[in-house]
Amino acid sequence: MGLIDSLPEILVEFPEMGRADLRDFKKGIDSAFLSFSRENGELIESFFYPLKVFLVWFEKLLLATPWPLMIIVIGILVWLGARSWVLVVGTSISLLLVGYFGMWEDTMRTLALVSVSTFVCIAIGIPVGILMSKSDRFQAVVIPILDIMQTIPAFVYLIPVLLLLGIGKVPGLIAVCIYAIPPVVRLTNLGIRLVDKDVLEAADAFGASPRQKMISVQLPLALPNLFAGVNQTIMMALAMVVVASMIGAPGLGTQVLKAVQNQYLGLGLMNGLAIVAIAIVFDRVSQKFGKRLQKHSETIHG
Amino acid sequence: MKRLLATSALLAATFGATTAFAECGDIKMAEFNWPSGELMANVDKFILEEGYGCNVELVVGGTTAIFASMNEKGEPQIAGEQWVNALRELLDPALEEGRLHAVNKAPILGLGEGWWIPPHTAAAHPEFKTALDIIEHPELFPDSEDPSKGAFIGCPAGWGCQQNNASLFRAFDMEAKGWKLIDPGSAAGLDGSIAKANERGENWFGYYWSPTSIIGKYNMQSVPFGVDYAGDENWNKCITVADCDDPKPTAWVQSEVFTIVTDDFMKSGGEINDYLAKRVFTAEAMGSMLVFMADEQADGGDAAIEFLMKHEDLWTQWVSEEVAAKIKGAL
Repeated sequence: MGLIDSLPEILVEFPEMGRADLRDFKKGIDSAFLSFSRENGELIESFFYPLKVFLVWFEKLLLATPWPLMIIVIGILVWLGARSWVLVVGTSISLLLVGYFGMWEDTMRTLALVSVSTFVCIAIGIPVGILMSKSDRFQAVVIPILDIMQTIPAFVYLIPVLLLLGIGKVPGLIAVCIYAIPPVVRLTNLGIRLVDKDVLEAADAFGASPRQKMISVQLPLALPNLFAGVNQTIMMALAMVVVASMIGAPGLGTQVLKAVQNQYLGLGLMNGLAIVAIAIVFDRVSQKFGKRLQKHSETIHG
Repeated sequence: MKRLLATSALLAATFGATTAFAECGDIKMAEFNWPSGELMANVDKFILEEGYGCNVELVVGGTTAIFASMNEKGEPQIAGEQWVNALRELLDPALEEGRLHAVNKAPILGLGEGWWIPPHTAAAHPEFKTALDIIEHPELFPDSEDPSKGAFIGCPAGWGCQQNNASLFRAFDMEAKGWKLIDPGSAAGLDGSIAKANERGENWFGYYWSPTSIIGKYNMQSVPFGVDYAGDENWNKCITVADCDDPKPTAWVQSEVFTIVTDDFMKSGGEINDYLAKRVFTAEAMGSMLVFMADEQADGGDAAIEFLMKHEDLWTQWVSEEVAAKIKGAL
């Protein structure tokens, strides 16, 4: 107490910005963003238009496909990816259960959103990761951005995304990708950087161009890490499904929100577990696929 | 207390003490924990303290907690913005038995749930007199993901109003007329879609409720349903129920807000009850104050001062000239 009393006031009370100034500062950010959105919103929306069309088409396709056909198609995809009968049977059983408990349509919507999101994340993430591995300067710029993307609460960027793109699937996809893209970028970068220098020297000795070196040496050797990144990206995309539903991307997340709002334990649990089921299928398939690719490339180099 | 004594003395000297002034001692008043509730409680507090010499203590709470306390314990004595619909079954007996009294049956005008359009849509289409007219033109409200359909923005998943909107959507046969019922996902989604439509000058048609800051901020226009309220039977047994067979078109059930006082206060409150009966916030005044509170992140106390300064023409109608003079003096 004595210490506090004897200190000058500036050390006791934090010299914070005046209330009015602070308010004006916040309002300034708001109005700057609003005018940016007014001027460029339509342009940005039209930029994402093809993605929107594809998302809508893909979801309609999944919804319109008869369920037995859908299960067969997914079973074939799982077989192609994992070459494991156990997984194929497990996937089919979980899909049948999901359908039996009345969650087929929502599961298909979620599946559509997550597959397209993952595809977009990988399509952007891997090239960025490759660029990062080639340039230390680029890496220094990108890493803090990835840190922000992973840690900033999703609700913070939902507001600007909403104002720019409205409610719907595309803003949902963007919210998912902001959160889910960092692992694939980080692990692509890491995987390439971890490739043995001796191997690269050998490639140089054979006269490989940088492009050949990347495609035939670095990327194949980076595959274990790269696939760990893809796997993590898929998992994080699924974790964001509920948040995406908050801005009008329908699916299992919508039901979870409904359950949270009304304390429907059963509804929440069922839809939560359906998300988990999709996650496990994606996870096992992508892991096994990654491992198989690795073996394949090892035989080439071995 | 000193101020109270001084005011009473002054009054005694000036007008001759009336019993009501002398008796106005401590009052416990509910402060509901949402913006309009905070504002109303703080306006009442200021007016009663400065104008009538009362000593007001605010009790913060939600609808059911405050009601239960008033009904069982007789405290707080005044609840300014008591929403009635959800409490009907408990409130009606209390009113009948005289434990509670509704001194003002419409303290805020223009409130309630319903369907809204932005002001620029209303201005561009003066032919949109009711929801029935709008329903005929889904092409003016294209859904961004399926532009061949009109987008009607309903209630977020899990809210009570989600079912009501879904039933009305069927009752008005909107699907056949080319509409799609959009789930905005959350309050943020719903607010965001309204904000985006207004910032971009796009058409928007959907559900919201008033008094709220977003309705006030964008001056959203309430759309009459074009049909009458089709009775409690239809509303309670069909519109609010999932998958009802035959929902009939209807206006939204009237949301009611009362100012409620306890029986003791009804007997002893004297002219304060007269004040409460006259104290009616217009939709514009309440809307603009909610915008102020949201923009400035003001609490109820700050907002009450702002209200008393900006809307003098309104609140001076609620009180006598002498009381008004005292309040102006205190501002």
